[in-house]
Amino acid sequence: MTPVVVMLFGSLNASSDLFSHLWATVLPEYIRNTLLLGILVAALSFCFGVPAAAIISQTNIVMGKQLRWLLMLPLAMPAYLVAYLYTDLFDYAGPVQRSLRAWFDWQSPNDYYFFDIRTIGGAAVVIALVLFPYVYMLTRTAFEQQDRNLLRASRLLGCTERQSFYKIALPLARPAIAVALALVVMETLADFATVQYFAVNTLTTAIYDTWLGYSDFAAANALASVLMLFILFAVVAEQRARAGQRHQSSRPNSNQALKQLSLGQQIIASIFCWSLVFAGFLLPVILLLSMAFEYADYAQLLTLLDTGENSIEIATYSATIATLIALVLGLFQRLHQSKARTLPVQISGFGYAIPGTVLAMAMLATFGPLDHAINDFAKMLGFSAPGLILSGTVFAIIFAFVVRFSAIANGTISAGIGQIPKSLDFAPASLGVKTLPAIFRVHLPLLKSSILVAWLLVFVEAMKELPAVLLLRPFNFETLSTQIYQLISDERLEQGALGAILIVLFGLLPIIFLNRQKDNK
Amino acid sequence: MLNKIWFSSVAFIALLSASINVVASDDVNVYSYRQPFLVKPLFDEFTKETGIKVNVVFAKKGMAERLDREGEYSPADILLTTDISRLIELKDKGLLQAATSAELATAIPTQFKASDDTWYALTTRVRNIYSAKRLGKIDFNYEDLADKKWQGKICTRSGKHPYNVALVASMIAEHGEADTLTWLEKVKANLARKPQGSDRAQVQAIHQKLCDVSLGNSYYFGNMLNDDKQKVWADAVYINFPNQSNRGAHVNISGMAMAKHAPNKANALALMNFLVSEPAQKMYAETNMEYPVRPGVKPSKLVATWGEFKADDLSLEVIAKHRKTALILLDKAQFDL
Amino acid sequence: MKPLINIENLAVELQAKLILSDVSLSLGKGEILGLVGPSGCGKTTLLNTLAGFIEQSSGSIEISSGEQVKKITLDTMLPAEQRNIGMIFQDYALFPHLSVSENICFGLKNIAKAEQSARCEELLSLLELSELSARYPHELSGGQQQRVAIARALAPQPSLLLLDEPFSNIDARLRHELMIEIRQLLKRLGMTAIFVTHNKDEVFTFADKIAVMNQGKVLQVGEPAQVCQQPNSWQVADFLQLGCWLPVTLLNETENLKVTSLIGQTTGDTLITAVGDNTTVENHTDSALNLQLLVKPNDLELSEQAENNVIIEHISVTQQGYHYLLSSIEQNNALAFKQLSFYSQNLYVLGTELAIKLSGQHFLLYPTGPIIKANN
Repeated sequence: MTPVVVMLFGSLNASSDLFSHLWATVLPEYIRNTLLLGILVAALSFCFGVPAAAIISQTNIVMGKQLRWLLMLPLAMPAYLVAYLYTDLFDYAGPVQRSLRAWFDWQSPNDYYFFDIRTIGGAAVVIALVLFPYVYMLTRTAFEQQDRNLLRASRLLGCTERQSFYKIALPLARPAIAVALALVVMETLADFATVQYFAVNTLTTAIYDTWLGYSDFAAANALASVLMLFILFAVVAEQRARAGQRHQSSRPNSNQALKQLSLGQQIIASIFCWSLVFAGFLLPVILLLSMAFEYADYAQLLTLLDTGENSIEIATYSATIATLIALVLGLFQRLHQSKARTLPVQISGFGYAIPGTVLAMAMLATFGPLDHAINDFAKMLGFSAPGLILSGTVFAIIFAFVVRFSAIANGTISAGIGQIPKSLDFAPASLGVKTLPAIFRVHLPLLKSSILVAWLLVFVEAMKELPAVLLLRPFNFETLSTQIYQLISDERLEQGALGAILIVLFGLLPIIFLNRQKDNK
Repeated sequence: MLNKIWFSSVAFIALLSASINVVASDDVNVYSYRQPFLVKPLFDEFTKETGIKVNVVFAKKGMAERLDREGEYSPADILLTTDISRLIELKDKGLLQAATSAELATAIPTQFKASDDTWYALTTRVRNIYSAKRLGKIDFNYEDLADKKWQGKICTRSGKHPYNVALVASMIAEHGEADTLTWLEKVKANLARKPQGSDRAQVQAIHQKLCDVSLGNSYYFGNMLNDDKQKVWADAVYINFPNQSNRGAHVNISGMAMAKHAPNKANALALMNFLVSEPAQKMYAETNMEYPVRPGVKPSKLVATWGEFKADDLSLEVIAKHRKTALILLDKAQFDL
Repeated sequence: MKPLINIENLAVELQAKLILSDVSLSLGKGEILGLVGPSGCGKTTLLNTLAGFIEQSSGSIEISSGEQVKKITLDTMLPAEQRNIGMIFQDYALFPHLSVSENICFGLKNIAKAEQSARCEELLSLLELSELSARYPHELSGGQQQRVAIARALAPQPSLLLLDEPFSNIDARLRHELMIEIRQLLKRLGMTAIFVTHNKDEVFTFADKIAVMNQGKVLQVGEPAQVCQQPNSWQVADFLQLGCWLPVTLLNETENLKVTSLIGQTTGDTLITAVGDNTTVENHTDSALNLQLLVKPNDLELSEQAENNVIIEHISVTQQGYHYLLSSIEQNNALAFKQLSFYSQNLYVLGTELAIKLSGQHFLLYPTGPIIKANN
């Protein structure tokens, strides 16, 4: 929360000159691109995620059990990596177009049409391919938890299966879809590295331009704040739109009869799901594997394992702390019902929408002065200065991660808390058990799976996150993502392929776990 | 559960203290804009000679802010950059201190160091114009890129990239703002595609006949020739040194500076002296196919085959001064859009 | 008159388990059928099969709607939305994202807008919901939600209305009143309805006809009074709580059927065997036959001559006087019993021993009954 405030304050010093210049030249285009990208990614994630969720949860598609978790796999791919692989693949000079040209003997771009990957559309497709699993996961869960009697009622009132889906199931899943889309849009807008490969200029570009180019950090802060307002506005508007409706699920849709697909439908549904899995996960992994196969060696693996250890360490601490904070906030909110207390939680959730580097700067702005105070104080007492124990150590990285990913942890945990019946808050007291022991004996055991899910999601995100680590890390501190970034930035991803595969492997952990959990239920 | 929390907290504190201990006092600490693999062999050599350990953080964005925020407690001793404007920015923010030694004074020509000795160049690189071999040898001026005959034939990376910004700044110094803006607009109109990718990607595009001409730094040519896969790209182009008949080719530098609050000043100076020494200069230039600044040190054999060239002797500080204007013009021309 | 719904030999198999078998029922227009039975007996499955949520594995369902008769067999399945059947769910299944009037209009999409709103208005006022039309389901009380559910189900004018435990979520005090109100409404509309419950009192208040189910079969169908008088199996009698079970044994007298119990004997002219003729029972005089006599509380009276044979286990106060649960003093006997109901105006102390005897004129005798375990 603090960094957000620091950022907002920082923006107050923004110079209006620079703004009017940006406004007169590139800013309108950037804003248009930003909106367009956000809308496109949201729309595409919707088009990928919701049908996939419907197919998996409601039909007897062949290999449904496998597709159920396969469709989550793209989440394990860092977006910047997929962006790099795809721009490389479909570029004019990329292997696909090269082979096409060789095959058909085309000579120049004028001889044929091929879609241009480096456009907003291309960027939106690729980003959506990596992020749609959020929509898929949340929507699928929503579908599965819907009261099946609602659908039956709709059938009896004359709606066909299809009409019932559009009129009942889909509107009921709207809160889940909205939350998922908000996450997707936040991640899209905050992501600079990815859009950069696509040569798409968005507000994030403007943030970096003003800061690095014009050296106007205040203006950069102001732009970042504008970006957050965009998202805030979208989220609030959505919440308003469904004020008054409440969705309670009384009878989970467990043994609902699955829709039997005809052969044609079966084929179409299978093609749809498998292409998502292929494009979002299999193809990038195959590309990485072939690169790794060609370039990797044993010595490199050893160094990678070394840096991998760093990655795991910071990811572990970030995940643990973020989960604990989410847990404390969530339970506190639950046990002390009041509107005012929900606000900080919501606002801190927007940390997810701050570009990693801007967040890192806010970290420095927050902890820098604190470090100075500590050192000055130590000197005053006659000790030697302890150095930058906050901003100069992994502490800053972990703190940044916690801020950035608390939205994920909060969301998961509060959803879990929401499922605990209210009566369980009071039952322990009636048995003479005090609040704190009650939390340990009742709430925490019930939240076990939510806690694990939150932990794993943050863990994976922290493994992937790049810009904040890049800027905040101490000396000689490499993580898998920084290493890959260095290689990518020198166009030598081939040599980083092994590391990228490691990140992906770690990303698979929570997915495997989430899937196992579901089966156990 | 509680046990786990305690265990984690203890481990966490241990981790924190471990990461502090990394920075011991007989080391030298480097904040680098350059990728570690480019400088690591040099540092290893330095450690072998002097026994001083070199600690490195590499980042491209926000280094200056980090240094600024850390202030007097910053552990940084040396800063390595890849662009003149970064050095000037650091200097303007008062984050540097003058460093002098006999070695530095003799090794680096005046045009490659700050007038107040706050920064020194280590290598130079040329902003070349690459052209397709299929067009034959051509003598280019940067100004020619605005010529209508290149319509739809030019490729470049983002105009906002520091290398391009510095080139635009040098154009402003030569032609003034208005003419530079016109030049930018015309170049933009000639682009085969929206600015994207890296300097190498543009050469690749020429190889694939997407365009005929591109802007790129000199060392990439060498790097591509040394790469099995990329050699075919480089083989498809000539590397041209522009403006040889007039002011000379635009040159940028990679450089170094001593941080204002460097805690290990003596070690830092030792490292600086080492980096300008003849063997280090030779090594540095060889690793990345750049031109050493120390007179008398020859570039690598490969680089030497590209021939002698005339460099623009415009002061680096002037280029840095026009940086902001260059950015504004790039925005005005909507170069990247 | 042609029945409105006619079910013949319906069987349902789910996951290789026979849930319903050989179900045959028919119902005339305007009749209300109460489907009762212990939980798990298949009554909800039957409802879902009629509605079209579950496919039958054999048998047929015929529904007349107007002049048209829809016959549903395995070969001519009809999706739920084409059966013209309305349903009220136990939890009402109101669409949480739609307002009251939107819920009611949901099934009216095939008619003109003006007519839609007219119908909606009519139902709103019929069920006294007019003031709540803009509210959302979660803003309503349980009773209000139920009225919305009814209005929604009635709106498309279904030929048959199914109600799944419709009163289970209603406050006990309001339940009776509400049942009468809804029954009157259905009667007024001439609506044919089948409703499921596990509460026998609801059947007697609400239904014209009753069908008792057990283990996937319909045991008995008929008018409530008739079923009460002549339950055709001990399960029916037991479910409807028509009396208590008294174990008896057959006295092997050739002339007359005669049974004896720990509290006396009774002879053939008062005995009605629920299954088969007397000979059936006689052929099974061995101990393997678990004969049970259905004993209603007023079939018992105090006996002054005999020695004490029962002990009071439980006392409760009712409008008919004190209600005692009696068990036989002798417990190590094959005919030992527990929990025999007995009413008296006199107050006895718990544990008092009494002498009672059979006094009724009509007893129902069943060859099998719930196994009452002897006390160890």
